[in-house]
Amino acid sequence: MRRRDVLAGLGSVGVVAGAGVMAVRGPPSLDGNTGTGESQPGDSDETDSTNTEPLTIETIDAPGSEADAFRVPAADRATFLDFFGTWCPPCVEQMPALAEANERIGDEVLFMSVTSESIPNEELADWWEKHDGSWLLGLDPTAELTARYLAGGYPSAVAIDASGTVQWSDSGIKTADELVAGIEQALAAGGQ
Amino acid sequence: MDRRTYLGTVGIAGLTSVAGCLDGTIGGGETGNGSSDSGAPNTILEPPEMDLSESSHPSYGDELPSLSLPDPLIDETISTDQFEGERAVLMTFVYTNCPDGMCPALTLRLRRTQEVAAENGFSDDVALLEMTFDPERDTESKLRTFADEQGVDAEADNWHFLRPETYDRAKTIMTEDIGLPFKKTDAPEYDHLEYMFPHYNLILLANKRGIVERAYPNGASIDPSKVIDDVETVVTE
Repeated sequence: MRRRDVLAGLGSVGVVAGAGVMAVRGPPSLDGNTGTGESQPGDSDETDSTNTEPLTIETIDAPGSEADAFRVPAADRATFLDFFGTWCPPCVEQMPALAEANERIGDEVLFMSVTSESIPNEELADWWEKHDGSWLLGLDPTAELTARYLAGGYPSAVAIDASGTVQWSDSGIKTADELVAGIEQALAAGGQ
Repeated sequence: MDRRTYLGTVGIAGLTSVAGCLDGTIGGGETGNGSSDSGAPNTILEPPEMDLSESSHPSYGDELPSLSLPDPLIDETISTDQFEGERAVLMTFVYTNCPDGMCPALTLRLRRTQEVAAENGFSDDVALLEMTFDPERDTESKLRTFADEQGVDAEADNWHFLRPETYDRAKTIMTEDIGLPFKKTDAPEYDHLEYMFPHYNLILLANKRGIVERAYPNGASIDPSKVIDDVETVVTE
């Protein structure tokens, strides 16, 4: 982290976006800072956690998913995780892209969407069906997995290679091409 | 102290953000109380790696702003002062319509702290305070729903949503007490939102003496385990 550089010169003007941090001198104008829901620049380095001890994530019975438990990240292959919430409109918007990415490359990785919200499984499964989910749907009731990998806001995606190293992560609505490209980074890294 | 005086003392800065919530540090000319010298006597943690003493918001060694605000879930007034001698305070500022997930990301840091505090036995040593600056929309029931969505145990003794009575009061707190720019803006790109608040993703950690140990200006992206470790150190040493 190079934040001190950012603050080195008092009176220096401008913005440094390194690691999701902007140092601002003087009164920032909030005009025009209208969010887009797209990714925060550079926030993925915050999620490059040194703690790679795998967690056990339970999946629920829903279309494309069944009640089971998975080691996350997987030991024998790359892992793709989508962090979402049923309350999150951009997450709904991203569902078709996830479905397409899963169609194209889901067989090559552990492909899972994960939520940390408090919601009955039946409601979650209903939401999943309504939005055409067709892959593993995991629960993170203590938010431990989410806290480890969330790259800024929701939705957030991470691709982890078979050694447990994060190869790509970003937040905001992604296209299927972006998701597949991220997953391919984890596949290319190998790690086995 | 009047933090507004130093918004504007140093040259105009450009500011860009892609999100409706801003991640950053706002610098200023002077801190006013000079308490951020290294080894501040009332702090437990060492000075932060990044010196934020020039920032407009409270930082290491400063007193946590004294605020008394309603907790609508229990219909009681909660004061930041009431925790002195009892609990460390981890506090952030959100609105539940936050369109880009930054407020859930801030909430995640408090929620994980709540979880680890329960696991490690320091639940009674920390108060988790989440203030909405959008009381017009963030009603009691909206806050309850938000808690469920975010997996927060809002019934726990250590969790309080704080809701200023009016928008004007919220604005005064954000700009004068917390020292952050604050503005309601249109949200033309979000069909479901009439207005939004570009805002800074600040989390404050104060010890049991009410002295700020850490200000995390990148509160939505900082590694949650870093925040949790700092809280645990502050309450156990």
